[in-house]
Amino acid sequence: MMKTEDWTPEMVAEFKRRRRGRNYLLLAALGGFCLLIYAIALVKLHEYGQMW
Amino acid sequence: MSDTVFANSTELGAEASDWIALLKPRVLTLVVFTGAIGLVIAPVHMNPILAITAILCITVAAGAAGAINMWYDRDIDAIMKRTATRPIPAGRIQPNAALAYGIVLSVFSVLVMWLAANFVAATVLAISIAFYVFVYTIWLKRRTPQNIVIGGAAGAFPPVIGWAAATGSISLLPILLFLIVLVWTPPHFWSLSLYASGDYERAGVPMLPVVKGARHTRWNVFIYTLALVPLTLSPVFFGLAGWVYGVAATALGLGFIYYAWRVLSDSQDARGVSLTKDAPAKLAFRYSILYLFLLFGACALDRLI
Repeated sequence: MMKTEDWTPEMVAEFKRRRRGRNYLLLAALGGFCLLIYAIALVKLHEYGQMW
Repeated sequence: MSDTVFANSTELGAEASDWIALLKPRVLTLVVFTGAIGLVIAPVHMNPILAITAILCITVAAGAAGAINMWYDRDIDAIMKRTATRPIPAGRIQPNAALAYGIVLSVFSVLVMWLAANFVAATVLAISIAFYVFVYTIWLKRRTPQNIVIGGAAGAFPPVIGWAAATGSISLLPILLFLIVLVWTPPHFWSLSLYASGDYERAGVPMLPVVKGARHTRWNVFIYTLALVPLTLSPVFFGLAGWVYGVAATALGLGFIYYAWRVLSDSQDARGVSLTKDAPAKLAFRYSILYLFLLFGACALDRLI
């Protein structure tokens, strides 16, 4: 396996592109999860008058 | 440019799509559909947000179980042509990271199901994950050619979970739907394994065509299909489904028997090897997917009209 300091500029750019893609996916997953919990809480409060 | 140059590079880390691929998205389609049908046919109205959440939990749980399956099966995945490019055998995702990913998603899907729906649905969801991982993947898959018969139960849980999410209980209709998917799985999967048995043989997985031969497998595809058709009519006999479902189940069932018969009567040599490159098995496999979609669709339609 090649050392990171030996990477070509193209490899560094590709590494950053992949990392950016993973970060966006994680952001979407966490944001979606927060919205989901928020929506469930609203439904529970409005329809059942309770949280649990 | 970079896509071409680094397409197979593992040291640059995984693509975001690799993490999605760990969830086996193609398999999830049927899981989502049957789970949603279980929810739709339940005689209880469920808030749409909670219903969507329940379906999402079923989807994520099935995906998480798939990720754990890929973690456990990484050695045989590397041998099989069909699975060698998966993220773990290809080296793009570390095995332990995939395992952690699967466990975290499993836990979250069960907890959110409990929060959004109820304890019964969350419990059945947890059982379905455990069944797929421990009973099918770890215990049965590498030990017996009947792996798919018993292990198929893991894929049969979604309609029960969907029903339980809406009603908080389990009654006869979701149990019948569970049994239908359970008996549908062997002819569906064995049709596939008839033309993919080379891969399984190389990996040492005792699928039925590898252990008992293609001729024996063709008979089993036919017999299980014959057993499936009356089972699909049982909701009508119990008064749980109407004529729309009854007509659809009969017509679709006759179609499935026809395709299974073609598998059985495929041109073959003395050892049972297909002389048609298993063309009937490929057709039967494709039809079996359409069959389940239409059968469950008819069940929902029958309830709605």
